[in-house]
This record gives sequence, C-alpha cells and structure tokens, in this order.
Amino acid sequence: MKNRKKVHILLCLTALIGVNGCDTIDCTLNNTVVMTCDFYQDGKAVQLNDTLTVTANNPDVVLVNRKLNASKLALSLSYFNEVDTLLFNVSGKDYKLTDTLWIEKTSYNHFESPDCPVNMFHHIIQVQSTHLFIDSVTITRGEVDFYEDENLQIHFYPAAD
Amino acid sequence: MKTRTCRYIFILLLISLLCPVAWGQNRKNSKPKEKAPLLSGIGVGIDLCGLVMKAAGAKFANMEISGRVGLKEKFFPIFEMGIGDCTRYGGETTNVFSTRAPYWRIGMDYNVNKKLNGNRFLVGVRYGFSSYKYDFSCPDFTDPVYGTVRPLELEGLKGNNQWLEFCIGFETRLWSIVRLGYNIRYKMQTLQSYSELGTPYYVPGYGRNDDTAFGGTVNLTFDIGKTARNKNQKSLFGKRKNREKEPQEDVKPAEESPRAAKRRGERKGEVKAADTSTEKK
Repeated sequence: MKNRKKVHILLCLTALIGVNGCDTIDCTLNNTVVMTCDFYQDGKAVQLNDTLTVTANNPDVVLVNRKLNASKLALSLSYFNEVDTLLFNVSGKDYKLTDTLWIEKTSYNHFESPDCPVNMFHHIIQVQSTHLFIDSVTITRGEVDFYEDENLQIHFYPAAD
Repeated sequence: MKTRTCRYIFILLLISLLCPVAWGQNRKNSKPKEKAPLLSGIGVGIDLCGLVMKAAGAKFANMEISGRVGLKEKFFPIFEMGIGDCTRYGGETTNVFSTRAPYWRIGMDYNVNKKLNGNRFLVGVRYGFSSYKYDFSCPDFTDPVYGTVRPLELEGLKGNNQWLEFCIGFETRLWSIVRLGYNIRYKMQTLQSYSELGTPYYVPGYGRNDDTAFGGTVNLTFDIGKTARNKNQKSLFGKRKNREKEPQEDVKPAEESPRAAKRRGERKGEVKAADTSTEKK
C-alpha cells in the first residue's frame, strides 16, 4: 500500500515535469512568394525565343538575367513599395526592346510561427505597361502568395504573317 | 488518420467508462454498497503545473484555478478558468510572439472508483474557449530581394478558439481537506478564427496551436463536504482521526518470560506466590 502511494507521488512529479514536453518546428516548405506571369500570343501560351532580362527600377535589382526560351516568369515583388516598376528587356540578333510594367499592389504580412521567416503577401490592384512588344496585360489572380498559380497573362503582339 | 486516432480514443474512453461498471456488477453481492450524499462536496483547486512552468521560464504557461461540485461522489461538474501566458522567441529568427489572455473551461468528471476510500479515478470531458489578442514583432524584417529593412510590429491581432478535451486523471486525499491529483488531457480544436496576417503560435488554455494537442494538470484541491471529510477515508499524510474502535478479540496474554520477571524486582514476590499457588493446586 505504501508503495502505491509512493508511485502516486512519483507520477504527480513526472506529470509536473513531463507536461512541458516536446517541441517541433513546422514551417511551410514552399515559402517563396512570387508573382507568376505567363506569356501569350494570339490567345495561346508561347515561348519567347529572344533573350529576356527583367530588372526592377527602384531600387535597381536584376530579377531575371538573360533568360532564353522563357514561357513563364516567377517575379518577386517588393515588400514596401506601393508600385513596382519592372523593365522587360528583350534582345535578339539585331534589336533590343524595353517595355515597362507598373504593378500597383497592397502588401500584407504573413507569419506562421516565431521560428519561421515572415513573408509578405500581395494583392495586385492594377497593372499598366508600355507597348513596344507587349500588347496587353491581364490579371488572372490578384493574390500573390505561396501558391504559384498564374497571376498575370502578358500578351505579345500577334505574330506577323 | 486523425479520424482513426479520434475513434481509438473514443473507444478507449468508452472501455474505461464501462469496465469498472462491469466489475462493480460482479462484486455487488459480496459487499454492502457504500452510499454518498447527493451533494458530496465542493472543491476549489489550483493547477501547480502552470505555476511551476511559469517559474521555470517555460515558453508558455496556463495558470488556472478550478471550482467543482461533487454529486453522489460520482459526478463532478467543474468550471476552470485561468490566464494563458506566452512569450516565444524564434529559434533562428528575431521574431517574437506574445499573448496573455484569460480562458474558461466547463465540463464534468466521472469517478470510476466505487469505493469511498478517498481516491478518485476520474474520466471527464471539458469544453474550453478563449478570446484573445496577440502580438507579433520582427525588429529586422528584411525584403530579401530588394534589400530594404523595416521593423515589423503587429499588435492586438484578434483570435478566437474553442476546443474539446478528454481527460483521464487520478486524485487522492493528502491530508484533511487537501487533495492532490493529476490528469492527462487530449485536446481537439472545434472552432478557430484568427487574423489573416498570421497564425497564433499559442492559444491560452489550449497550448500550442495545432489541430490536436496533449496536456495535463497537477491539481491541489481543497475539498469541503461530507464525503470529503469521511472518517473512513484514507489520507496520504496524517493519522486517521476518530477512527471507530474495533471490537477487541479475546486474546490470551503471552506468558511472561523469567528474564522479564527478573527485571521487575518489585513484582518478584508476586510471581513466586503465583507459582506456589499453582503448585499447590
């Protein structure tokens, strides 16, 4: 009987210590927030045969450097700017064209745990562009978050017959 | 997977509830049934676990008190309330999460122990809820691509959680009206809402914010009432007072040894006289 009482006290103490038990860190593996842009021509998805470089204007950051045969892009948006200015440089054998994209957006924080890095999600309000080789830009999904679904459709001018 | 786990827990709880009833049926005829009054006691308790966790500098702690009523020494409707406190620093980040808010639980315990011996084996259910505000900060919040740094301070984000708890516990009478017990709890979230900016790391009263969680308390309870002061109950410390005198059996006194008789010089003559009287007979 005495042993049973001792076991009872021991269990109480063990419970007291053991409740503050294990701890795990569960951060999302896919934790990059990028705006996904797909290229279209004549209403169909196309691949850009020229060399494409995308730079941000303020501050000067190279987002895509001399990419060949691009059919889609994953671009990081700034955390704190209200409007991002992106320069699309397309260069071929004997030409070099630059179109500018203005992306107006709102940004908001997203956190999951103190152990995980804080991310910034965005909501695209409006997109404007110059029209040297870009015909139009359509917003297909305004929310820019962990899901890498298509956010923008960049339509090029129809191919010359 | 989760539904299967829940099913197993339900089955286990059901078995733990039903088995003692079955055992009790077998023993029915062997012993007279002990009866407890309808209102068998009122108890006020405090969770030592939360206090120890707070003192030890744990990441989070629930400091709670509870009040309960004993009905027939079987059913214990219980109300628990406390303050959940958490300040959590990121392991490899500079993030800080903090909250401090009250929480409430209502529920019922069932005493599986048929005997009124001061020990209680309790199975029970609780429904908990908490409405709270939480803060999140990151002093060097940096845009990794554009390189700009701006401190992040999010304050007063609102959260709301409700959850269900299944408890198994044991408690015993330490001394007089003081009881000590512990219980282990399996918790399941039933309703949760929080700011779209981020998930709270900790929910007051629930613990770390996962779909399910394990927890436990070590309760020091002051139980006042008829059954709580039952004279026949065993206490872990202290003597049983006012114990009824058991009828003494007719036991023959042991014959005194000659050595013992020698030690007591004054009785020597009496012993000798007794010896001579027996010899004469």
